[in-house]
Formats: sequence, C-alpha cells, structure tokens
Amino acid sequence: MIELCDVSLVYPNGVQALSHVDLRVGRGDFAFLVGTSGSGKSTLLKLLYRELSPTEGKVFIAGQDITTLPQNAVPFLRRRLGVVFQDFKLLPQKTVWENLAFVLRVTSVPRREMRKRISEALDLVGLMHRCDSFPAELSGGEQQRAAIARALVNNPPILVADEPTGNLDPDTSWGIMQILTRINARGTTILVATHDNQVVDRLMRRVIALDCGKIVRDENRGTYSSTPESESMCKSEITES
Amino acid sequence: MKLRNLEYLIQEAFIGIWRNGIMAVAAVSTVALSLAILGVFLLLVLGSHRFVERQLAGFEVAAFLPREASQEDAEKVRDTIAKLPLTKNVELLSRDKEWAEFKRKMNTKIDLGGVTDNPLPYALHIESKDPRKTAALAQQIREIPGVKRVADAREDYRVVRAVADLVKLLGFAASVVLCLTTVFIISNAIRLTLFARRHEIRIMQLVGATNWFIRIPLVLEGIILGALGAVIAVGLVAVSLEYVAGLVVRMLPPTLRDVSSGVSHTQFIALLVLGGAAIGALGSFISIRRFLKV
Repeated sequence: MIELCDVSLVYPNGVQALSHVDLRVGRGDFAFLVGTSGSGKSTLLKLLYRELSPTEGKVFIAGQDITTLPQNAVPFLRRRLGVVFQDFKLLPQKTVWENLAFVLRVTSVPRREMRKRISEALDLVGLMHRCDSFPAELSGGEQQRAAIARALVNNPPILVADEPTGNLDPDTSWGIMQILTRINARGTTILVATHDNQVVDRLMRRVIALDCGKIVRDENRGTYSSTPESESMCKSEITES
Repeated sequence: MKLRNLEYLIQEAFIGIWRNGIMAVAAVSTVALSLAILGVFLLLVLGSHRFVERQLAGFEVAAFLPREASQEDAEKVRDTIAKLPLTKNVELLSRDKEWAEFKRKMNTKIDLGGVTDNPLPYALHIESKDPRKTAALAQQIREIPGVKRVADAREDYRVVRAVADLVKLLGFAASVVLCLTTVFIISNAIRLTLFARRHEIRIMQLVGATNWFIRIPLVLEGIILGALGAVIAVGLVAVSLEYVAGLVVRMLPPTLRDVSSGVSHTQFIALLVLGGAAIGALGSFISIRRFLKV
C-alpha cells in the first residue's frame, strides 16, 4: 500500500531529513512511526501526500509512483489519502458538517450520497451531535475527531496521521486511538506518527522507529521505548554533520 | 464542471463574504473610496478638456471689404467663403446695426457728431470647421478677390491652444497615475483579505481541492466586492458633484460655469461598476496565485 524505496530528502537549507529510507506498509496494516522531534517523522508523512518530494528514491502509493506525479494531479492523490494533522486543520469558517461536505464537493459526490457518508463518518467518531458547530466551539478532542471524520469521509484506503494526539490529554488521546483502531478494523491502512509512548505501549502494534532520518527499528509488535544504542547513534551523527 | 458544482461555488462566494464580514467591509470601502476619487477626478479632467475645446472653437475669422464695396459685392464674397471646405458658418454683418452699436459704445468717449455717413465697411464673421485650421482658412479668405483685410486672432489662439494642450496633457498624466494607484490600492486590499484566509486555502489544497475549485469562489468574491464598492463610489460621486461642485460652480463667472464632462450618467455608472468588478476579479486572480503556490 505504502512503499518507500531508498528515499533521501535534503531540505534547501542543507539539513538531511531522511537518508536511504526503505519502508513497506501493507494493506490493512496499522503502524506507528516513532522518534524524537526532528527525527524525520513528519517529513516522511509529507512525502506520502506530496507536500514534499524526495531528493532521491521513489515513493509508491497503492502501486503508483507519486514522485513523478505532475503538480495538477496532486489533488487527486490527496483524495485517495486521508490525512489527520496535529493542529486539526479544520476550515474555521465552516461547521463540522460543512468541513466534511467540502471534501465531498471537491469530488462531485451527489447530495444524497454526501449526506449518507457524512453521517456515517460522524457516527464513527461519535460527533453527530456537534455537526452544526464551528471548530472554535469544539474541544481539542472533538476537533480531532472531526478531522478524523473528514479524513475518512472519502473512504480512502490509507489514513495518515501526524501527531494526532499531540495536543490532547491522555484520556482523550486514548479515545482517538480507539477510533483509529476501529477504522483499521474496517480494512483501512493506517500510519500514525507519534511520540505518545503510553498509547504505543498499550496498543502493541507495528512500530517503526526513526532516528536522524534513518529507520533504526521496525518491530511487528513493538513498544515506544528505543534501545540506548540508537540514541547514542543520533548524537554521534549530529556531530559528524 | 457540473452545474451542481457551479451553484455551490457561487453560494460559497456569498458565504465567504458573509463570514469574513470585517475584511469584506474593509475591501468594499477601499474600493468605494478609491473609485470615487478616481471618478470625480476623471469627470473634472473630461470637463476641463471639453471646456478648453469649446474655447478654441470660439475663435473666428473676420473679413473686411473695402469701403466702396456694395451690398451685392458683400453677398458675392459671402457665397464664395461659404463654399470653402473649411467654412462651418459665415455671417454677413449688417452695417447699420454695427454702426449703431459702435456709436452707442463710443458716444461717451469721443464726439461722433460730425460723422453722419456710416463709415464702416462690410464685414463677415467666419467660423471654421476645425479650430486648429483657423489660420489656413484665414489665408484662403485673404486670397478671395474683393476682400481687403482678414483678422484671425492668431496670437490669442496660439496662447489658448498652448494652455489647452497643457491642461489635456496634465489631465491625462494624472489620470494614468491615479488609475494605477487605484488598481494598486484595491488589489492590495484584496491581497489582505486573502492573506487572512491563507490557512483556509492551504487546508483546501491538503484535502484534495484543485486550484480552480479554490479559486472560483474567491474570484467571484472579488467581483462582487469590487462591483459593490463601485456602486457606493457612484453614490459618493453623485453626492459630491451635486453639493460640492454645485457650490463651486455657482461662484464662477457665467462663461466658465459649463464644465460638465459630456459623459452620460449611464455611461459613467456602467464604467465605474464594470471597472470595479474587473479590478476585483483581476486583483483576486493575481493575489490567489501567490497563495496557491505550494
């Protein structure tokens, strides 16, 4: 479903964000991407929805090489991919319902179908009763649930979440993660970047650990805590570069 | 693009204006004020342009016949002048009337008691079709047999001509500068409203909206705000012309009072509203490009 082949990315300011990353996430997988701030988690996710392009290597989504995708085809890639952000990124001038409807308008979904899909998505995250609220009237957890519902409303085969619980308290975070596992149980491939160790340890799913732009650990049923060696490795690399 | 989508995009434009109320008010008032200033200025330029043109058209050529010429000779000369291609109008003045007028004017200054016979020659006033070619017309009349003297006020004409050209040039230059300033101010106001919504534009891109889907409602908003501002500008111009210009004009001598621009109300309103809408559309279109770049 998601495949990165020997991907490297150097930012224009010379910072090497990713170096020679190889990664495969299969259909229906649920994987955590863990690592400290600056380890390259967000950069890796941004490659998936073509916010960034790698300086080297190839990125495949559902078998399609997206590194060669022309700019005007990018919107169509993003419609096949649900993305959830740490800061929710809801349209502030639109209600929860309108935020979800916008995604469907973009793809010209008929009105009746639209109503059905929005209701389903809001039911799944338990936010039907707040559908007429504006984002500013919601709590952080509710906003994130609305954002997840928006990411789902197109029925994308892949859901990518960048620190979805970064701004939330532990209880709310756990609620969000349960929603994500429920979505995964329906067959959606999920990749979550996080440094929420409690959630990762409790769920015991696949864990991919990034450190200084390299994959240092990939366990099928892993925990958050990294081995001492990988930590020291990062420090030595920073001094080298 | 499906019809349902178009309907949605138009609806989006109005919702966008309504929910971004303060920015919309700011943009509309900027458009209204700058277009009103531009409008009043253009009317003044056109008015002064028309005024000097009219002054130029007022220059006439006068032709005088020798004293011994008869009424018949005078009529013959008149008909010859009327046939010249540059002649717009020729008038043969009545000797008696002129003499009476002269006596009335001069009576208090000099004693005309000794002059009993009318000493004035026959005279003709000729208006040129093209005020610029008055001198050429005068020359042609000078060559007609039986004409003794031709006066064409050449010096006066040259001075007025120079002033008129200067007025036109300054008016044109200032109009161009003011037009550019107006476009700049308005597109700046639009850029500000878009800057306030740059996150919204970004999010739309992230959820897979094509650039056109984002652009259309925003350009429509620009058109609506521009046209709305222009309608208010028309009102401002009307009020300022009615009350302010009216007061000023009444203080001028009667010969200078007619400074109307010659532009009809419908033309002016259409020009301003279409101009406002066009600037709104163009300003939005250009400004959005900056925010659509990834």
